[in-house]
Amino acid sequence: MTSARSLAIARHDLRVVSRDSFPLVLLVLVPLVGMVFMKSAFRPTLVAEGVSSANGAEQAVPGMLVTGGLLLISYVGYGFYREHAWHTWERLRASPAGTAEIMTGKALGSLALAALQFVLVCGLGSVLMGLDVRGSWAGVVLVGAAFGLFVVAAGLAVTAVCRTVMQANAIAYLGTLVLSCLGGALVPATLLPGWAQTIGPAVPSWWAMRGYRAAILGGTGRAAAAAAVLVGCALALALVAAWRMRFDETKTGFA
Amino acid sequence: MEQRALIVDGVRKRYGEITALDGVELEIVAGEVVALLGPNGAGKTTLVSIVAGLRRPDAGHVTVDGIDVVRHPHRARARLGLAPQELGVYPTLSVRDNLRFHGELSGLHRAELARRVAEIAEALALEGLLERAARTLSGGEARRLHTAMSVMGQPRLLLLDEPTVGADIGMRAQLLTLVRELAAAGAGVCYSTHYLPEVEQLGASVAIIDAGRIVARGSLGALVGAHGRAAVELRFDGAPPALDGEPDVHVEGTTMRVATDAPPAVAAARILAGLGTATVRLRAVELIQPSLESVFLDLTGRRFAAGRNGDAAPR
Repeated sequence: MTSARSLAIARHDLRVVSRDSFPLVLLVLVPLVGMVFMKSAFRPTLVAEGVSSANGAEQAVPGMLVTGGLLLISYVGYGFYREHAWHTWERLRASPAGTAEIMTGKALGSLALAALQFVLVCGLGSVLMGLDVRGSWAGVVLVGAAFGLFVVAAGLAVTAVCRTVMQANAIAYLGTLVLSCLGGALVPATLLPGWAQTIGPAVPSWWAMRGYRAAILGGTGRAAAAAAVLVGCALALALVAAWRMRFDETKTGFA
Repeated sequence: MEQRALIVDGVRKRYGEITALDGVELEIVAGEVVALLGPNGAGKTTLVSIVAGLRRPDAGHVTVDGIDVVRHPHRARARLGLAPQELGVYPTLSVRDNLRFHGELSGLHRAELARRVAEIAEALALEGLLERAARTLSGGEARRLHTAMSVMGQPRLLLLDEPTVGADIGMRAQLLTLVRELAAAGAGVCYSTHYLPEVEQLGASVAIIDAGRIVARGSLGALVGAHGRAAVELRFDGAPPALDGEPDVHVEGTTMRVATDAPPAVAAARILAGLGTATVRLRAVELIQPSLESVFLDLTGRRFAAGRNGDAAPR
């Protein structure tokens, strides 16, 4: 029964999102457009790093998978804030679904969105950018799944600590920019300033980039290790979300 | 022995310095409709929130269909339906999807779910609207959907907080019929309203809450018999004049209320004759027959219409 209610909430959230799919289109379009501009700029750097046959997609595709994925942090929050804006949150809480079922359902719906975004961005990016995966597609998927878990957990944690959707958006957008830069998603890590290269390993996006590049360029072991770090980060953030989420708090969403 | 759909036993709730509920006692038996009446800030919404498991009481116990809402909140919520005062529907989803979602949360699936959607849609005249997005509904239609969502799970206790706000006469009649049918099927109904005629139409018993306490509980007839004195209410331009010979006069601002055991029209004639020159400042006269309105007035010292906005617990 527990899983049935969580699945019902996840399906319901996806149905709501599908009724206004333009933002979702942006979640796919933004990374694809980014790849177009970044691919050729990244090629010389990759060649200089010793990847002689690189065409730039080896950095552009995972870079945009990470940046685009981080944009989902806001979308996780929307699943909660819109319930408050539509005055359906108290009804949901008064339903037979428990708090864990509601959290699980919301997380599952967001994970499904993350999976859809990964498949479309990775698939279209590979085809359009000519990505040559020399390592393992399984590794790419493994890192993608782990990063999806991290993004959803981060979204839940941000929602838990922010009372308004504007606060959550501010944190999510700033976080997306900072994590993308420090992780080497927008600029290859080797080109970052020294201080940024030093603190890079402290952010999950750095591990996501490391995992993707390892899986693409060869190095499945490093990809698995990066995925394990991402899952650890996801677990830590999920604990923060569970600890800080106050179901009886009134949040302010877009009306 | 009658089965209790709801037992509220000595419930207290404070928000800082404010006492919202001060030892509330209330029982609703299966099949009974109880109209919960009270002025603004009386504690209605707090009480409904606690019964629905949305807030925890500071003291006391609440059981829904025999299940303690604090100790077993999931089991208790599986037995109740809540239609809060504020309209809560998913505007971008169809009426059918709104209903289906709440049916699924109540554990309904496939054929049973489809049958229940059809049943509720028919009862509240939503059949022709099932594929419409909720945002395109009129106010009354949306209110019907809002209420329909709360009964998808066939609750043993139904909490309806001002369900007919914004509804037209036809919708109101449909909703009252549905409430009566649910009660006839064995559900207990707690019905908060500001439309006193609905209480009589529902054949509901009454619980009046004021300052966080239930100050009266019983059948309409019994309460009117015990507290329902007729009254004449006069509003003046400026302070009401002194009135000789009337033993039970209450003045509040520019309003004077004279309670009477005589027929109110007779009393009004007597009072008007005694006003003298103050008659020129008289702006309105209202006769209050022995009724729920006069019961409310007698118990709380306020007209029922004064508390239309409902109370709101601190967020």
